[in-house]
Amino acid sequence: MLKVANVTKYYDDFLAVDDLSFSVNRGEIFGLLGVNGSGKTTTFRVIMGLLDYEGGKVTLDNKNINYNVTDKIGFLTEERSLLTKLTVKEQCIFYGVLKGMSEEEVCEKVVMYLRKFGISDYWERPIKELSKGNQQKIQFITAIMNEPELLILDEPFAGLDPFNVELFKKQILEMADKGCMIIFSTHRMEHVELFCKKIVIIQDGREVLGGEIAKIKEDYQQKNIFINGEDIKKKDLEAIEGVVSVSKNGDDFEVKIKDASYLDNVFKQVKDHRLYKFLLQQPSLNEIFVAKVGEKYGE
Amino acid sequence: MASKLWFLIKVSLNRKIKTKWFVIVNALLAILIVALANIDIIITFFGGEFDRKEQVYVVDKTEKSYDILSEQLLAMEKRVFGFDESSFELNLIDKDDYDEFDYEEIIAEEPSSIVIYLMPSENVIEAKLITEVYLGTVKQQIILGALNETKAIIALLETEIDQDELAKITTPIEVERVILDEEKDSEEEMQAAIMTTVFPFVILPFFMLTIFLVQMIGAEVNDEKSSHGMEIIISSVPPKIHFFAKIIAGNLFVIIQGLLLFIFGLIALLTRQLIPSTGITDGVSAEVGNLVRMVLDSEFGSQLVYIIPLTLILMLLTFIAYALLAGILASMTTNIEDFQQLQTPIVIILVIGYYLSIMAGVFTGATFIKVLSFVPLLSAILSPSLLVLEQISITEVLISILLMVIFNYLLIRYGLKVYKVGILNYSTTGLWKKMFKALRS
Repeated sequence: MLKVANVTKYYDDFLAVDDLSFSVNRGEIFGLLGVNGSGKTTTFRVIMGLLDYEGGKVTLDNKNINYNVTDKIGFLTEERSLLTKLTVKEQCIFYGVLKGMSEEEVCEKVVMYLRKFGISDYWERPIKELSKGNQQKIQFITAIMNEPELLILDEPFAGLDPFNVELFKKQILEMADKGCMIIFSTHRMEHVELFCKKIVIIQDGREVLGGEIAKIKEDYQQKNIFINGEDIKKKDLEAIEGVVSVSKNGDDFEVKIKDASYLDNVFKQVKDHRLYKFLLQQPSLNEIFVAKVGEKYGE
Repeated sequence: MASKLWFLIKVSLNRKIKTKWFVIVNALLAILIVALANIDIIITFFGGEFDRKEQVYVVDKTEKSYDILSEQLLAMEKRVFGFDESSFELNLIDKDDYDEFDYEEIIAEEPSSIVIYLMPSENVIEAKLITEVYLGTVKQQIILGALNETKAIIALLETEIDQDELAKITTPIEVERVILDEEKDSEEEMQAAIMTTVFPFVILPFFMLTIFLVQMIGAEVNDEKSSHGMEIIISSVPPKIHFFAKIIAGNLFVIIQGLLLFIFGLIALLTRQLIPSTGITDGVSAEVGNLVRMVLDSEFGSQLVYIIPLTLILMLLTFIAYALLAGILASMTTNIEDFQQLQTPIVIILVIGYYLSIMAGVFTGATFIKVLSFVPLLSAILSPSLLVLEQISITEVLISILLMVIFNYLLIRYGLKVYKVGILNYSTTGLWKKMFKALRS
């Protein structure tokens, strides 16, 4: 288990991570979310042991993270971390051997992954000649080729088309099934909802929301009702007590209510119309994220 | 971790050596060094009027000066250059052709020609020297000297002096040269020869290798840093290992490149011996051979036994210091352009060392230069120079070596702290503050 306990990191006087705690179990995909500059990358660097920090503790299977355990960690940075003058083979061998693999092991693994990602022909090609998407695939392969016990993915889908996003998703889920601990950071909340059971949202280095996604949604009182019916007027819906906002979403009205207790009020208002749809939904993670981070921004 | 260190060293070296550019540059260096060593042979191979003597046309209206002038010109050349044969070819204009002789036509035909008119005068003889352009100072001095000698001899002849007496007067004075410390004299000659001929051939590769070293480390660190590959590398190996890998790889590279330059030099000397002599270049070959023989046969030859190792140790320690500096500075910069700017002071330090080593020969015993010979980075050039010139002793060179070791130790101790912070720093804001904080940590 990866355990981040009360970690605090300062850059001079700037507080980058403020008493942050979370844990990731084996086979779990954990979402570390936040707007740009919220402290995600600093947190990743702290976990990787790249930065000294002022307070707290980071352990992997109850051991401090140092160079004795970093070979078990895979790290995909948000920026391209490839040495573009090298060929794919040279790059993979370079990072692979630094992760404690033999050159033969690297070649065997990488050839397998290149085939899996449909880029077998690029083995001897210089990285600078590859497209952005293919460079991202190579970077992803270098992060997973050592079959890490902990995998840190900072914006893994950047520059990928939907087809390749699916390939990545499949691979990430496969690794989680094998017991790999995965920390995942992205601005695409639909990916987080798909992968993660647990998340933490940070703002200014401090946790603003954390826990299991299902529980977070449940606890988040505001709900959405999707209504489709004849002669329903927006202003009538807006006038109902407990309604926060009404918007048109395709043919449906999306009505946000303060909490589930106001559901009846809305139903009473529309029940006399010919109704095609009346659907109560949990809010999306994106909504919760915007709402929570927005609160912090003072919106 | 040791295996990772050696792997990083291997990768760094391969990146530099297993490239087509390394092969191309070294092939070019080999060709250029061989060509440079044989430059006189190459020049003569392509031909030119190397044997052609300078044409001197003499209009001797005194009708008695030509032979004397001819003798005196040869005597002067022998005195100045040690020539046995004159480089001038004298042509006496026949008395009957005086009216037809047109010096302008002669010079127009052959611009390097010299025309001398010798005319009787109240002061024995007077002369007129006509050329197309200014003569070189030495050449002019030889001709004027010969003319003056000619005048003096004719004047003496006019006094109807006895031929034996005249011979006594005109024969060069016999000087018995007494040198109390001949060894000292030959040592000084040797020192001068080494400082002017051998030393530049040691300094030049040292310059070149230092620049290669600094550029190699700077470019590699910046490449890894600017591509963010550094984060992956440093998450796998400690900054200390990464730093030492760069330093060791850089120094191994300069050793390999230095050995290659040495081999190219040997090939150049070998080709010089093997290429058939052109006659004209005999002098140069003989000079090189003489110098080597002179050095090896003398007492100075035995001093080379410690001068060479001490110089090599100092140079190696200086390479390490430059590599450490380059690594530290590269970690502080965020792109290769910034690093290239930082290279300028490094080059200037090298140039200062070189100039001071030249100055040491002029300002013998200068305290300022002597003190600077202990200063790390300057000592690699200056200290061996002063040792060759016998201005410092082995003990003082050993002190320079000790100071270099201490300097390198301090660079490692404090530089590593800066390196650790610098390699993962991508911002120039508050850079110095971060570095000083790192130093204090």
